[in-house]
Amino acid sequence: MDDTDGERTTAASPFGEETTPAIRRVGDGSDAESTVPDVEALTGEPQTLEPAIRGVWVIQSAISAAVLGVVAAVAFSVVSPGGAWIGGVVFGLVFVIGVVFSLLRYRIWMYQVREDSLYLRRGVLTRVNTVAPYVRIQHVDTRRGPVERVFGLATTVVYTAGSRGADVSIPGLTPERADDLQARLKHLAIAAEGEDAV
Amino acid sequence: MKLDPLSIPFRAGESVVRLAWLLVFALVGSPAIGGASGIGLAVVGWFVVALAYQLVYYQRFEYELSGDTLDIASGVVSRRNREIPVGRVQNVDISRNVVQRALGIAQINLETAGGSSTEASLRYVSFEEAKRLQSEIGRLKRGRQSGNSTRSGSVDADPERELFAVTRKELVLLGIVGIDLRLLSIVTVVLPVVAPSLRERFADPLVGLAVTAPLAAVAVVAVAALISGALALTSYYGFRLARQNDELLYERGLLQRFSGTIPLEKVQTLTISENVIARRLGYASLAVETAGYAPNDAGSQSAVPLADKHRVVDLARSIEGFDDIDFDRPPRRARERYVVRYSIVAAVAIAAAFAADRYSGLTFAWYVTLVLLPVAAVGAHLKWLNLGYDVQSEYVVLRQGFWTRTTTVIPYYRVQTVMDVQTVFQRRRRLASLIVDTAGSSGLTSRQPRALDVDEARAAELRETVADRLQQAVQRRRTKRHRERLRSIEADLPDLPDPATDRRDRRGA
Repeated sequence: MDDTDGERTTAASPFGEETTPAIRRVGDGSDAESTVPDVEALTGEPQTLEPAIRGVWVIQSAISAAVLGVVAAVAFSVVSPGGAWIGGVVFGLVFVIGVVFSLLRYRIWMYQVREDSLYLRRGVLTRVNTVAPYVRIQHVDTRRGPVERVFGLATTVVYTAGSRGADVSIPGLTPERADDLQARLKHLAIAAEGEDAV
Repeated sequence: MKLDPLSIPFRAGESVVRLAWLLVFALVGSPAIGGASGIGLAVVGWFVVALAYQLVYYQRFEYELSGDTLDIASGVVSRRNREIPVGRVQNVDISRNVVQRALGIAQINLETAGGSSTEASLRYVSFEEAKRLQSEIGRLKRGRQSGNSTRSGSVDADPERELFAVTRKELVLLGIVGIDLRLLSIVTVVLPVVAPSLRERFADPLVGLAVTAPLAAVAVVAVAALISGALALTSYYGFRLARQNDELLYERGLLQRFSGTIPLEKVQTLTISENVIARRLGYASLAVETAGYAPNDAGSQSAVPLADKHRVVDLARSIEGFDDIDFDRPPRRARERYVVRYSIVAAVAIAAAFAADRYSGLTFAWYVTLVLLPVAAVGAHLKWLNLGYDVQSEYVVLRQGFWTRTTTVIPYYRVQTVMDVQTVFQRRRRLASLIVDTAGSSGLTSRQPRALDVDEARAAELRETVADRLQQAVQRRRTKRHRERLRSIEADLPDLPDPATDRRDRRGA
């Protein structure tokens, strides 16, 4: 009851830093609370992904290009005009497009841990800017796929109760950065004190 | 508590009916299997087995509504004990089909926000028991919400206040207005089976087609109208909506009777939808979305199937107090986008008609399809005309769609994520779409509430505005809750002075 009182934290606390509760609510910008050092330290400037993510994306596009190429090769070796070589052409085309997209995607991808929300910008053809407020965070995951592990990368996934919840995932982080981001988001979500989430 | 004893034979009967269906399919597939006596034996045998199983199921199934939780212990082979916190229950729905009504039993479903399916289902309890559970859960929830279960005085149910009851006229209109386009597609699948016999009567296939095609079209529409009318009648017969404390209660259905609760506290979005016909007649429908339901459980979301538009808006206002809607419109260059898009579709159709005329034996007036070009322009204008967004102090209201125009009211407090999306084509015209995501299951249409083709700078600004107002709304709620909690403490302990100063003293000591 005490810790959740809205009025108390605005009043000057007669106690030292060590006796104030570790969990504090995030400021609404209307008062001095927005300068609570805890939250301030956790937020940061816009961040880009690790450059190695390009490698992950290139390999992923190579895999899908190979699948398409094999399908095309099989299909065109049956049909009378054309032969299996079309599969190679398809592979080449899809792979080149995939590489270009991987490079562009890396250049566009950006995320920022803001004061009261996580902000993401991504997408090559369709540009998407997402704001995920901390009050709405349900849980935060870190996961590493096989290709990501080869490159020493990890993905942080932020879940909300929204129908597009799983959309908020940040790939291309080093495991340390991913863990750090996960911890920061966790603290921020607790500080934001989401109540019901729905 | 146990289930109703009648549920034993009923559930056994259900499984026999399911088996019977299977047998019918098997017989259709291969008529060689067994004779009538063999089938009879199988059915009777299965019934005996099912009866035994259901008897055990009945004996093992226990539920108990204690103070804060609904405890359910169930399972024959693997046992399962569940405790569902009453405060987390979103909806309590009761349904009864014809047979169940004759037996006086009912199915009761509990929905919570978690998971994609119904949280718990009691099959079956007596109707009185279902009603009792429904009102008891409602009472316990109210008790929890007022933060104090000891003071029973404030917890008692207010009298029910009827908000809406469907009239016969509205029911008939619902059948007409609610012609489901998906039904048309089903009917067109069935039609080819019937059509050949009709076509045989004409010697010349082309003449036959010319006669049968319009005939078939009329038949399709008529059959679809009949089916949708019948569906509307059976599912919304006797529909009524009432309000009791902080819950909406609904009842509907002719053959299968549904009744349930929609907690206003958990309402995510309100959607007013009016299709072309309804708009002409000045009617609209209202859907209330809560977080509990599984996707595509659209029937239960509907709050008002069809009513006078003003009434619907008034009702929506009584649930969420949004202001008069004054839509901002997307810029004119958005319309150009739709003109281009629809014209391309029209051009492809015209080209196809021309090619068919040129390179196949069939010759016809392909240039008639040129009419599609002005139609595309008109269509683009209509689409543009129906778009709109209104950013109010506590709600964001979004409107879109010509065939079915949907107006979605979203309280900032329910926003989960906000995003603005820009495709390549939108970027060329400096446009972007704003998508506001809530925890609602956005059922049937699966369309996210969005403001289509807003100016890109405006979209970015709106994204931040919505996010900021969410923070403010959360803040307001929190302050309000603290104040309420303080007040309830004050009311409980009248001998204490001001609780705020009291606490400060305690901390100082």
